[in-house]
Amino acid sequence: MLAIVIDDSRAMRMILKRILSQLDFDVIEAGDGREAMDTLLALEELPSLALIDWNMPNMNGLEFVTAVRDDKRLREMTLVMVTTESEQSQIVRALAAGAHEYVIKPFTSGAMVEKLALLGLVPAGANI
Amino acid sequence: MTFPPVATSADLVEIIDQVWVSYLDPDGVSPLVHMDPAQSASDLYAAVSITGSWHGHVVVACSTDASRACAAAFLAMKSDEVSDDDVIDVLGELANIVGGNVKSMLPPGCFVSLPYVVNAPADTLRLPSAVKVCELAGRWDEEPICVSLWQSQNELKGAHSS
Repeated sequence: MLAIVIDDSRAMRMILKRILSQLDFDVIEAGDGREAMDTLLALEELPSLALIDWNMPNMNGLEFVTAVRDDKRLREMTLVMVTTESEQSQIVRALAAGAHEYVIKPFTSGAMVEKLALLGLVPAGANI
Repeated sequence: MTFPPVATSADLVEIIDQVWVSYLDPDGVSPLVHMDPAQSASDLYAAVSITGSWHGHVVVACSTDASRACAAAFLAMKSDEVSDDDVIDVLGELANIVGGNVKSMLPPGCFVSLPYVVNAPADTLRLPSAVKVCELAGRWDEEPICVSLWQSQNELKGAHSS
């Protein structure tokens, strides 16, 4: 399975990429929502999963989620916000915009695996 | 007299412990050992500003060696393999994570800025309209790291007059 990790922090992209690679995902990266949209629109095979930071330059995570949901070709992707935005109202905004799940930083790799298992993307109890 | 809810040193401890468990010491072998902030010298710092319904700043300061060790841990590299850009990226992300978690303790309607990193000791940092409200200092592999929360003085005056 293919996944895209969208975060303006290279370190955070590395951490997420490490987790996903251990779960047998192939991973592509983008540094903000705009770069991610450009990348996705140029791809023939779309990722099944996007992990998305919220606070990024150029196009933030919420704008990215909205743009994906408005695009007929991209809207089937599973979208997971991975962010420090932990206010209830922000979580509701992201879910209302079309995110499927929400992971708050800092997170352990186990917590991330649990979320992906809830979404049916990895087996429950997958070990990394 | 009412005061707006503000994160305390205990809150910083909780946030930092979670950061350590998640990224810097997942195996629990090298925890941050708390120490007197007065003994915490730094070579560089990262900061985010919080605006909106509350105004202040979160500052993460540390020694050069600590910053390289943080970057190495985040990136699963050796300290001598990390670049200056890696250090800036990781220190900024640390400030972003701490700032975001502090924000969750503040009144709704706050915003966290993108982080900035300055290659200078934290005691050169000038936040003219802000005062330090709490901090957490520690040693990680004998290297100093300090996290502090600053609140706008206007915010404090408003709280005292309400």
